[in-house]
This record gives sequence, structure tokens and C-alpha cells, in this order.
Amino acid sequence: MWEATIKIAILLGGVMTAAAYFVLLERRVAAWVQDRIGPNRVGIPLTNIRVWGLGQPLADGVKFILKENFTPSHVDRVLFVAAPVVIFAAALSLLAVIPFGSQLPAQLWGWKLSDRPIDLTVAPGVDAALIYVFALSSIAVYGVILGGWASNNKYSFLGGLRSSAQLVAYEIPMGLGILGAVLVAGSLNLSEIITAQAERGWLALVQPLGFVVFSIAAFAEAARLPFDLPECEQELVGGYHTEYSGMKLMLFLVAEFLHMITAAMLMVILFLGGWHFPGGLTGTSLVLDGWGGQNDFWFWLQAAVRVLVLFTKVFLVIVFFMLVRWTWPRFRFDQLMSLAWKVMLPLGLVNFVAAACLEQLSASFGYAWLRWLSAGMAWIILVGAWVAVSLVVPTESNRPRRRVQPLEVHLRRS
Amino acid sequence: MKADDPQIHWVPEPELGLSGRMYLPIYVQGLTTTFRHLKDSLQGKAVTVSYPDEEPKIDNPLIYRGVHRLNKDEQGRIKCVACFLCATACPAHCIDIVAEKSPWPDREKYPQSFTIDELRCIYCGMCEEACPVDAIELTSYYNLTGRSREEMVFDKEKLLSVYDATKDREPMRSPQLGGTV
Repeated sequence: MWEATIKIAILLGGVMTAAAYFVLLERRVAAWVQDRIGPNRVGIPLTNIRVWGLGQPLADGVKFILKENFTPSHVDRVLFVAAPVVIFAAALSLLAVIPFGSQLPAQLWGWKLSDRPIDLTVAPGVDAALIYVFALSSIAVYGVILGGWASNNKYSFLGGLRSSAQLVAYEIPMGLGILGAVLVAGSLNLSEIITAQAERGWLALVQPLGFVVFSIAAFAEAARLPFDLPECEQELVGGYHTEYSGMKLMLFLVAEFLHMITAAMLMVILFLGGWHFPGGLTGTSLVLDGWGGQNDFWFWLQAAVRVLVLFTKVFLVIVFFMLVRWTWPRFRFDQLMSLAWKVMLPLGLVNFVAAACLEQLSASFGYAWLRWLSAGMAWIILVGAWVAVSLVVPTESNRPRRRVQPLEVHLRRS
Repeated sequence: MKADDPQIHWVPEPELGLSGRMYLPIYVQGLTTTFRHLKDSLQGKAVTVSYPDEEPKIDNPLIYRGVHRLNKDEQGRIKCVACFLCATACPAHCIDIVAEKSPWPDREKYPQSFTIDELRCIYCGMCEEACPVDAIELTSYYNLTGRSREEMVFDKEKLLSVYDATKDREPMRSPQLGGTV
């Protein structure tokens, strides 16, 4: 029990700090992309020392806490308070099954810490981990819908509605993208999926189409640009959190970043090899081998290297998320839906069928070269399916046409 | 006006080619632009000026519209002839002139008092445009501060002292009217 408590404490502290600093990183990256400098003033409190603006998250947090926690009179009070709690609790409990490394050795300098190696997952060995992740990420959207509904404001409500429609549309391609990974790994346990990739190659290389489908769907699930329709500032003021202020708003905003972190971690764990790095740096089995070393030190070093590799990958994926934000304009809602149902769904199905066939092929013969062949075939399938879909999908939009008859206005001559 | 009105020029939406329909080439193009800006900013080419720490660079102080000054002629007399053209042109009504009979023979009037409310002024430069003798000009002083409203109403002496402070850096604009260059 102590083990789980300590892991929860480390995870909560780490993830909340990470979320705060990712807010700062997001602001800095946004500034850099727009040829600005960004927040670089706030340093150590009560001194004049600026450490590249690293004190900014603290200032932001204090500001949110000290702001008036205003509840408008026209809201449904119970749901209004429940919504941020729901979204935040769901976003946090999602992290329970996500591994943030592989294992720690059971002993440190001869001290026995545990009976067996410590899994770096709060709830290790959950065989339905992926289903749990799916279920909770869907509950998080309940928070968005509740917030939009309880606010009793048409813009918030529109944001909530859009969010629910977007969720339904993108759960399916996301599931299809994951199915391919599950097929290869033969398990829903995230640690086992990583181990399978460490042994057989990263799934992003073996199933490129699945990776593309999953990443696009992950962007939509995290409601990041170009899929941030639930809260697009230009149309909906702030979307579902328009009426929120103070701590409640902060819960929404932090939950949003937690979703982004979770999405990035899932991308890394399911498709980019998790803690695995090729070239013998991290080893390939879940159990630490310490590079054959006899000393505890080597085992601990290897565990640390694995954690470092995992988080470097997650960091790079998150930076990619942020750069995409300043690259793509937001989709229109009909484009979003057309992308989900007419592009992503077929691509996901193609990936699933192809993955099943190729897996069966290489599993039933078991030659090493067959595995390379099937990976090559997967890339050919990616290009083929991509071109086919782009040629078939209709591109007409609902812009004004010449055929449109606008309202006629007769001006009386004076 | 109807949709088929001959005066309406309908611009057809450009047809998407294969690369446009594939989405990826355009996406890579956009991401390249993003990366280029990121790289430039990280190399210190951001356009932001950290103002109190670093002074902004004014490209051409001669056309910058900052604090006003009242020019002097070669004999050190105020150039203004109290014609009220600047006060008339001023859209913010921030110039107040009291004219007096000139003590010098080359002009009829001179300003006995000349005040500009720098807080009302919108720094449009109309006074400078209107002045027939190039007596009032806008300098490149931009960091104008004060502790009270009264302090920000500049009188004749103050405006003349702005001239003394800036005449070396910013010569008068038109030499043919007695400019100092």
C-alpha cells in the first residue's frame, strides 16, 4: 500500500508540475513561433532574479487561486460545480494505468525496498488498461458537456455539444488505430505493448497508417488545434468554460493540459516504443538486465535511462503538439465531421485489416525477413490508402455559389 | 443586387490539385514555416523590444511623431508668428495660443503664450503640417512622463527648451525656411 501511495504522490506532483510548466512552454513556443519573446520576467519570488521566466507557473497559479470564484446567477449550481471536478478527476485517474518507466530494482545499496521489482505504474498489471483509458477519457468529456450545459449560456452549450459530437466521431478511428497495436502486442496492458515493441520494432514503423490515424484522433481527443472546436475563442468566446473563473477555470485548463500529456504518453507508449531505445541502450525486456552488470548501480542507471527515454519522447511529442497548433488553422465543423467519417474511419479500417493480414502472415511462417517485408507492405498500404482516400473524398464546401439567390432589396428612388 | 448582376465578379474557388487533396505536402510546407520562425526567434531575431531594458530603435527621427518643440530662428527668437493655423488644424484642440503684437519688425504678431496639452495631443502631426513657418515640429522624444496633469501641459519655455535639447540630433526639416542644417 505504501508503494502505491508513494507512486501516486510522485505521479501527482510530477504531472501537476509538468502541466504548469507545459503551460509556460506553450506560451513561450507560441511567442517564438510568432517572432516574440514570451513571458521571461517572473523568476524567484521576492528577488530580482529572473530564471528565463521559470517562476511564471507559480505566479499563474497564485493568480488563479486569488481570483474571485464567481458563480453567475443563471447557472445550474450543482452541475456547475460538478463539471470541473468530473473533468479533473477523470483526467488524473487516467494516469493510474499509464507506465512512466519500466521497473525499479527491488533493492538500493543492499537495502530491500520491496519483495519484487517496483513497476513504475500506479496500478501495475491491469490487463484492461487500454479500456480503462478509453472509458475515463470519455468521462472527461462529460465534464465538458456538463460545464457547457450548466453554464446556461448558448456559447458554452454550443461548445459542449460540439465536444460530444467530436468525441463520438473520433473515438472510432482512435479505437481502430489502437486495435492494430493490440493485435500485434496481444495484450491491452500498456507495459506489455511496450515490451512487444521493444522486441519487434516500434509500431509507428510497423503500422504507420495506424500511427497516423491514432495521432490525428489523439489531437481531436485532446481538443487541440486544429480540433479545438469545443472552445474556439473566435466563435464561442471560450466555449464550455466561458462562465467559469478562478479555481474552477484552472481545473478546466489544467485538465486540458493533462489530456494533452496523456495523449502524448499514449502515442509514445502505443506507437513510439515507450521506454525502448534501439542500440542496446535500454535493453528489450521489461525486467532490467543492468547491461549484465553485477552492481545495483547499473540496474538503477538502466531504470533511470528508461524513464529519461520515455519522457524525452513524450516531451518531443508535446512540442510537436504545440507547433501544430501554430501551423494549422481550425477546421470548420462540417470539415471535422467529414474528416472523421469519410477519411479517418476508412483509413482506420484499412489499417486494421492490413495489420491483421500481415500479422497472420509473419506469425504463421516466422521468418525474420517476412517481418521486414510486412513492415514495407504496411508503408505501401499507407501511401496507397492515403492517395485513394484523398482522391475519393468529396471536396465541395458550403461557400456561397453563383447559383445562390440572395435576398432582393428594392430601393425607392427619391 | 442579384447574384447574377454583371457588376459582381465571381472568383471561382481554385481547384485543389493532387498535392492539395493529399493534404500532406501543404501541411509539411506550413510546418516548415513554423519551424523557420521558431528557429529565428531562438537565434535572437524576435522583433520584441524589451522596452525599459532596451531602447527602441527609431528608424528616422525626422519623421517620428513624439513630443513637440517650438523652433528658434538664427537670432534665437521664437519662429512662431501666432497665425493660429496649428491650433485650427489640431483635431484634439490641445494647442492654446495667446497672440501679442510682435516686438520685432519682421512680423506682425508673436505668441505671448503657447501651451500644448501633451495628454490631449494625439500626436497626429497636423500642427506640423499646417505651420507656414516651420515653427512647430514633432521630435523623436517618446518617453514622456509626469506626475500630474498640470505638469503635462507644456508652455512656451518648455517647448523652446525641447528645441534646444534636440536641435543637434534632429535638424529642422526645411532648410529653405531657415532650417539649422
